[in-house]
Amino acid sequence: MYLELSHLQKSFGDRAVVQDLSLSLEQGELLCILGASGCGKTTTLNLIGGFLRPDGGQILLDGQDITHLPPERRPVTTVFQSYGLFPHMTVLQNVMYGLKFRSMKKSEAREKGLRYLELVGLSDYAGARIYEISGGQQQRVALARALIVEPKLCLLDEPFSNLDAALRVKMRRELKAIQRELGMTMVFVTHDQEEALILSDRMAILEGGRLRQYGRPLDIYRHPADDFVSRFLGLEELVWREDGSLLKFIRRPDPQEA
Amino acid sequence: MNNPVHTGSTRASLRDALVRVGNNGADRLLLLMLLGSICLFVFWPILCILLRSFAGEGGPTAQAYQEVWSGYRANLFNSLFVGAFTALFCTLFSVCTALFISTRRGWVRLACMAVLLISMVSPPFVSSLAYIQLYGRRGWITYRLLGLTWDPYNCWGVIWMQSISFVPLNALFLIGLLSKLDTDSLQAARDLGAQPGAILRDMVLPLLRPGVLVTLLLSFVRSLADFETPVIIGGRFSTIASEIYLQLVGYSDLEKSAAMNMFLLLPAVAAFFLYRRLMRRSDQLFLGNSRSRQGGLSLELRRCGAAGVLCTTVSLLFFLMMVLQYGCIFLSGFLKRTKGVYSFTLDYWNTLWSRDAATMGRSVLYALIVALAGTLFAMVFAYYMDRRRVPGRGLFDCLVTLPYMLPGSCFGIGYILAFNHEPLKLTGTAAIVILNMLFKQLPTTTKICSASLAQVPESLERAARDLGGSRLSVLRDVILPGLRPAFLSCFAYNFSSSMTTAGAILFLINPGKKLAVFQLFDAVYTGNYALASLMASSIIVIVLAVEGLVYFITWKGASRRVS
Repeated sequence: MYLELSHLQKSFGDRAVVQDLSLSLEQGELLCILGASGCGKTTTLNLIGGFLRPDGGQILLDGQDITHLPPERRPVTTVFQSYGLFPHMTVLQNVMYGLKFRSMKKSEAREKGLRYLELVGLSDYAGARIYEISGGQQQRVALARALIVEPKLCLLDEPFSNLDAALRVKMRRELKAIQRELGMTMVFVTHDQEEALILSDRMAILEGGRLRQYGRPLDIYRHPADDFVSRFLGLEELVWREDGSLLKFIRRPDPQEA
Repeated sequence: MNNPVHTGSTRASLRDALVRVGNNGADRLLLLMLLGSICLFVFWPILCILLRSFAGEGGPTAQAYQEVWSGYRANLFNSLFVGAFTALFCTLFSVCTALFISTRRGWVRLACMAVLLISMVSPPFVSSLAYIQLYGRRGWITYRLLGLTWDPYNCWGVIWMQSISFVPLNALFLIGLLSKLDTDSLQAARDLGAQPGAILRDMVLPLLRPGVLVTLLLSFVRSLADFETPVIIGGRFSTIASEIYLQLVGYSDLEKSAAMNMFLLLPAVAAFFLYRRLMRRSDQLFLGNSRSRQGGLSLELRRCGAAGVLCTTVSLLFFLMMVLQYGCIFLSGFLKRTKGVYSFTLDYWNTLWSRDAATMGRSVLYALIVALAGTLFAMVFAYYMDRRRVPGRGLFDCLVTLPYMLPGSCFGIGYILAFNHEPLKLTGTAAIVILNMLFKQLPTTTKICSASLAQVPESLERAARDLGGSRLSVLRDVILPGLRPAFLSCFAYNFSSSMTTAGAILFLINPGKKLAVFQLFDAVYTGNYALASLMASSIIVIVLAVEGLVYFITWKGASRRVS
C-alpha cells in the first residue's frame, strides 16, 4: 500500500478526536474523508500533514515512516480551506514558492511555475496580486502551489467550501481531471456527501473520531455498513453521465429536518 | 411611533409630529455641536500658529522664520539627527520585542505584556529619571557599581532614552498586527518546505513591512516633538523641540516659538498622510483575517538562525533594562543614603502626601472628566462619521486625526494663541487643560469606537427605525449599548493618557493649579530624584488601580447580565 495509517490516536485534553483509525490507499487514488463537523476529519488531515503529532499509531507513505517528521520535511502538501495564500506575493510567486527549497534554478522554477499556472488555467494572471483575483482563482492558485513541488501526497481540506454551488461543481470536475492527469495521490476532506461520491476512488466515513465504513463509494452506496452510514449518506438516487461517471445524487428527504 | 394614530385623535398625531421635529432638531443640533467643536478646538488653534508665525508689526512677514533658520539651524539638524537614530533603534527594539512576545506563550508572555502595560501607563520621563539614577554621574550602575566617571548628558543619551520609551506603544501595535497574520499562510509555507528562518524572512517580515514603516515614521515624528527628554538629559545638546520649550517658558517669545513649531508641524502633517497610506497597505495584506489567534504566533525563534538570536537578545536586553528601570523607580522613592549606606525611609512619602495631595487629587479629577467626556464625544462622533452621510466627512475625519501626529508643544501653543483673549478667554482655567487633553486623545478614541461600531450590524439600526424609533433613539438604544466594549478601552486610554502625558499640558497649566505630571517634571528638572521617583510610581499605581476598577465593574456588570 502507498499510504497506510495504522491505529492513529489523537486527543485534545480528555476528548478523543481520532480513535484507532486505520486506512490504506493505493498510489494515484483519491480518498475522501467524509463526516459531519467535529467528526475528526480535519484532525486526521493535520496528522497526515504533520501539523499535529499523533498520540499513538503510525503513518507510512511509500514505505517511509513519516509519523514524526515535521511538515517542512514531509513529502506532503496541503490545500488549506482558507487557501493560506501569501498576500504580499504575485500569483506566480505564490506558485513558485515551494521550489525555493528544492534547489532549482530560478529560470527553471519560473518555467515550471508558468506550466502549472497553465494546468489550472491561470496563465493570464501570473503577475496579479492575490487580492485582485476571485475566490475560484485563488482556489486554483492554492492547488497549483501545492502540486508544483510534486509531493507524494496532496491533502485538501474542504477546498471548495468557500465557493458558490455552480463553481463548486466546475472545480470538482477540474480537480478530478488534474488528479488523473498527474496521477496524484490525494486525500480530500469534506462534509458534502455528493462531493465525496463524485470525486473519490475510496471513501472513509468518520463519526465521533471512529471510522464507520471504508471502501469504494459505490460499494458503500450499495451496501451501507449500518444504519448510521445509510442515514448519513441519505441517498435516494444517483444520476449518471453518458460516460458512466456520476453526475449528481438526489437526497432522500430527511425526516428529522422536515 | 408608539401610539397608533386613529382618525380624529389629532392631538396624538400632533404630539407625534412635534416629537419627530424635536428629535430631528436635537439630532441636527448635536451634529452641529460636534463639528463646531472640532473646528474650534482642533482647526482654529493650528491655524493660529500659522497666522502668528507670520505676524509682524507692519503686516505679514517671514521674519520669524528667517531668524529661526539663521539662528537655530544647528537645532534643526540636531532634531533630524536624533529623530533618524531614534527611529532606527526604536524600530529595531520594537520589532524584536513584538516578535519575541508573539512567539512566546505562558508566563514569559504574561510577564512581558505586564512590563509593556506598566510602561504604557508611565509618565514619559520615567526612563530619563531612571537613566540619571542608574547611569548618571553618581549612577548606581556606572558610578557605584563600576566606578566609572562619565558625562551622560549628551545626544546619545537622548537617542537612547527616546528609543527605549517609544518601544511599548510600537511593540503593542506590531503585536496586534502579528496576531492577525494568517496562520494558514504560515502553515502553507512550512508545508512547502520552509524552515522557521525562511518563514520569518519570506512571510512574517514582508507582511509586517508596512507596520514596520509606520513604526519608523511614528518614532521619528515623536522624537521630533519630544522636548522633555532633551531638556532633562540633553545637557548642552538641544533640539528644536527643547528650544521651543525654552523660548516659551524662558522668554515668552510667542512669534519665534510659533515659527519653530511650523518646522515641526510640516513634517508631522506630511507624516500623517504617509501614515494613512501605509495603514491602508497594511490592511490590504491582512485582508479577511479579522480572526485573531489565541495561542500566539507559532514560530520558533531559536530555530530562525542569526535573526532569531538577534531578536531574542535584543528583547531580553530591552526587558532587562525595563526591569532595572522600574526597580530603580519603585525603590528610590523609599531609600535614603546616609554616609554611603542606604536605608528605608518614608520621608519622601510623607512629603508627597502632605504637600502634593491636592495636585494628585486634581490630576485624577481632570483625568476622570476627560475620560468620561472624551469617551462620550468619541462614541457619538464615530457614529455620525461612520453611519450617517455627513457632508465633508473626509475632511472632519482628517481634522480629528490630526492631533495624533501633532507635537504636544504645537497643540499647546495653538491653544494659548487661540484662547488667550475674549470672547473665548480660557488660558489659566481648568477647561483649557481638559479640552486640550480631550482633543489630543480624540484620534485614538474615535478609532477604537469606529472599530467597535463596525461590529454593530447596520440592520439593527434599520430595525430600530423601522419599528418607529427616531434617529436619536437609535443612537441611545442601539448604538451606545453596542459600543459598550469600546467604552472600556476608551475610558482606560483617556484616563491613563491624561494622567501621564505631559506635552501640551506643561504650557497650559496654571501655576496655582498644578497637575501631577507637571510636578513630576519639575522634580526631575530640579534634581529631586527620590521625590520624582515616588511621584512616578504613585501615578503608575493610581492609573493601574483605576483601570483595574473599571475592568472589575464592567466585568461584574457583564456577568450579572449573563446570569
